[in-house]
Amino acid sequence: MTRNLEIAVDREELRALVADTLERSPAEVTDDADFVGELDLDSLMALEIVVRLEKRYRIRVKDEEFASITSLNGIYDLLTAKLGGT
Amino acid sequence: MLVPLKDSWSLVLGVSSGMGRATARALAAEGGNVIGIHLDTADGQEAAGELAAELRERGVAAHFFNRNVAAAATRADLVPRIAELTGDAGLRVVVHSVAFGSLLPFVPPPTATDVPTATVTAVPDARGGGTITARQMAMTLDVMAHSLVYWTQDLLAAGLLRAGAKIYALTSAGSSLVIPSYGAVSAAKSALESHVRQLAVELAPRGVAVNALRPGTTITPAFRKIPGSAQFDDACLARNPHRRLTRPEDVGEAIVVLSASDSSWVTGNVIGVDGGELIGT
Repeated sequence: MTRNLEIAVDREELRALVADTLERSPAEVTDDADFVGELDLDSLMALEIVVRLEKRYRIRVKDEEFASITSLNGIYDLLTAKLGGT
Repeated sequence: MLVPLKDSWSLVLGVSSGMGRATARALAAEGGNVIGIHLDTADGQEAAGELAAELRERGVAAHFFNRNVAAAATRADLVPRIAELTGDAGLRVVVHSVAFGSLLPFVPPPTATDVPTATVTAVPDARGGGTITARQMAMTLDVMAHSLVYWTQDLLAAGLLRAGAKIYALTSAGSSLVIPSYGAVSAAKSALESHVRQLAVELAPRGVAVNALRPGTTITPAFRKIPGSAQFDDACLARNPHRRLTRPEDVGEAIVVLSASDSSWVTGNVIGVDGGELIGT
């Protein structure tokens, strides 16, 4: 139980956030598209995504958790784990 | 003519760390208002918030934005906001102090063991290790060099750079030296110095001065990310005729001093701010 439980993770909102950061259309950001291999993610974009996630979901992402920023599914799982599950 | 910085507005790109942070403090100490952009996760965001609060305690306005300086969307959102904040005044000083790049060798060393790898920030490369990739090279050049040009274009188009305005870009002696794993950043610093010359000439008719500042070896968070940086310290200390390394505050003071005039005659230079480190023996 965390104080953030009231913030549900909307997968489409998340997709839009990632697409905006990667300068891609939301349709390109499929659930399992590999950010680095398919969507040209670099380490600066990864940092920008994390900063935006921290702001939006009021969480703190540890450096080692950057490894989860590999696909939309990866981020979704990280967020739901951090926010106390769905 | 000398003109006070009091009530002026400055934009500091990379405000949360090292030189940017010290420059924001130095400008605020002269009564200048500061708009800062930085990109930080939670701890860095808190530290930036504390810095903004500290500046406000000095009686100036401080507006910080946690955004990616290299993203076009950031400029699209914030240039109009900067115009709102500065009103009729425009920007007096723009400082580009952005450290984010891949620190990787171009080719593997002869022995595969002990390959130095790191990034300037605490963020590991998504596919770290090995040698630099095209994407990492492009990212490093884009954020550490080309972003200066794009910000200048957009600030000028918004009418925010007028006669007497000063633009500074932070370079390093590493632009013309070979340092292990520093190849992409070195290339970025070379490009940055080239951009400074080009912008200086193109902006001269408008009375806007553009210079690169080349601090000596300074212990900043970005410096500490360079593999083997600890070994530089002693050698640079021994070479510096002042017998100390450069401090971020030295850079802040230099920017204040150089910005004290409305002249654009000092322009297009790479100005050492190193206490003589580079010419010391």
